[in-house]
Amino acid sequence: MSSKIFKCHVLVGGNASGEGLFCRQAFTFDRAVDTRTGVVADARSEIAGASIKGKVLFYREGKGSTAGSSWLVEALRLGNGPGAVVTEYLDLAAVVGSVMGGILYRRSIPVLSGIDAGIFATAKVGAIASVKGDSVKVVLAG
Amino acid sequence: MHLNSAHERLLRGEGGDARQLAMQILAKVGDAVGARSLVPIKSAHVQADYSGLHNSGIELFERFAASDGKFGVPTTVNPASIDMDSWESFGVPAEFTRKQIRLCEAYYRLGGIRCWTCVPYQVCNFPKAGETVAWAEPSSVVFANSIIGCRTNKAMAGLDLASAILGLTPKFGMLLEEERVARVAFVAPPGRFSDLDYRSLGYLIGKIAGSRVPALEGTPKNATSDDLKHLGAAAASAGPLAMIHYVGITDGSNSLEKAAEGEKIERVDVTRSDLEVVQGELNQTEETPDLVALGAPHLSVSELGSLARLLEGRKVKRGIKFCSYTSPQAHEMATRAGIRADIEAAGGTLSQGTDADVSPLKAMGFHVVLTNSALLAETLMADGTVKVRYSSLADIVGEVSA
Repeated sequence: MSSKIFKCHVLVGGNASGEGLFCRQAFTFDRAVDTRTGVVADARSEIAGASIKGKVLFYREGKGSTAGSSWLVEALRLGNGPGAVVTEYLDLAAVVGSVMGGILYRRSIPVLSGIDAGIFATAKVGAIASVKGDSVKVVLAG
Repeated sequence: MHLNSAHERLLRGEGGDARQLAMQILAKVGDAVGARSLVPIKSAHVQADYSGLHNSGIELFERFAASDGKFGVPTTVNPASIDMDSWESFGVPAEFTRKQIRLCEAYYRLGGIRCWTCVPYQVCNFPKAGETVAWAEPSSVVFANSIIGCRTNKAMAGLDLASAILGLTPKFGMLLEEERVARVAFVAPPGRFSDLDYRSLGYLIGKIAGSRVPALEGTPKNATSDDLKHLGAAAASAGPLAMIHYVGITDGSNSLEKAAEGEKIERVDVTRSDLEVVQGELNQTEETPDLVALGAPHLSVSELGSLARLLEGRKVKRGIKFCSYTSPQAHEMATRAGIRADIEAAGGTLSQGTDADVSPLKAMGFHVVLTNSALLAETLMADGTVKVRYSSLADIVGEVSA
């Protein structure tokens, strides 16, 4: 088993580890995640049917509605949110969602940007990932 | 992020609980995104729909309202999840309605303008070029940045309220001139544009531009501000963008070179077949619709007038609800002008202060939605609770009426 460490830009600080979910497509929490289960509902998504609950969620960039943050807050309130969010480009929905989750429910999660896009080609679903400060470690198979 | 002494006092609670909470949000978000300072805004646009905000959103709204919070700048609001006048006839569950009404009441206590529309700039808030604002609802944001010449980020739920309360927002992203430079250029295909072509082009731009600010060359000369409203809405639904440089329209972007500030940028020539691919992507089924939803964003009174003319002498087929979504203000004007009566005579309905993309369509009993809104199609496909078809207005009217 080899692992790779990526240096990222910390937006909201914290540590977390769990299975990684990797989505190359633009992502939103708005409607695309069922807040009652954490399951990705959007059938078009590369991670359709997977649960984000407790996972380290990787996607390239955000999209769509400004309700993205409130869907994340609701998932965090219900205990179904991701353990951390790591993106290539800053997603304001994840930032605001984590900040609001922290202020309202003491459930902020680490949010980082600037991950090397290569991760989406190499990492497999279920690869263990951990976030510590500005380091993101991903265990790659083989 | 730097806070001045007045901001620090608010953070310590010297301005009351509501402003303390708002300052906590702005300070934390500002720190996260690397903003240098807080800057004043001229207006705010917030979301208060239960379908988007959930119970945690009610909690936040009611915390602000219960601690005597008041909006510090003129504040408008996006559509609610129900039409306040006719939710019962739509079959919206009562529990859902009660939650929406709690949000409405908290919003009123905070002193918000009761417009309930995703197009505040068409009915009740007319900013001037160069103003900094904090607007939620990405289609408004794209319109504000690209057509009006405002400076606004996509004020995500939570950030929108905090900015509205304090009349301040963190300075980052689209508030910085260097972040507004075009990084990719799209060239529209020549020829006549249908309503659907504008939306499909927007969707394509949003998807391909990704996190780069796009410029668009070749926007048809006869494009109306309504056309560009729908183009921008489609673009923002498909990707993260908050602005499009419409070459020849957007302030300061008389040419592609100006939009890109002289940098050489990638050029994407969009073809008619690219637009057909988008059309295919947003069509999930061939089934007969039980709801035609026109809106997302809200139709203007002139769009309602065109619709009334298109429906003249026709009748919507039985079993299909033909609904146009609009602001309470355009609804009033359409009523006075007889446009509403004409649409209703053809079997259509108007719904005000709500929109299909924030309505509980499945709970209302709908299964297949036919629309010319790429934003609505994209939104409904995200959770798949109803199936979606995407066609031009002319094709829709031809199919569902005779």
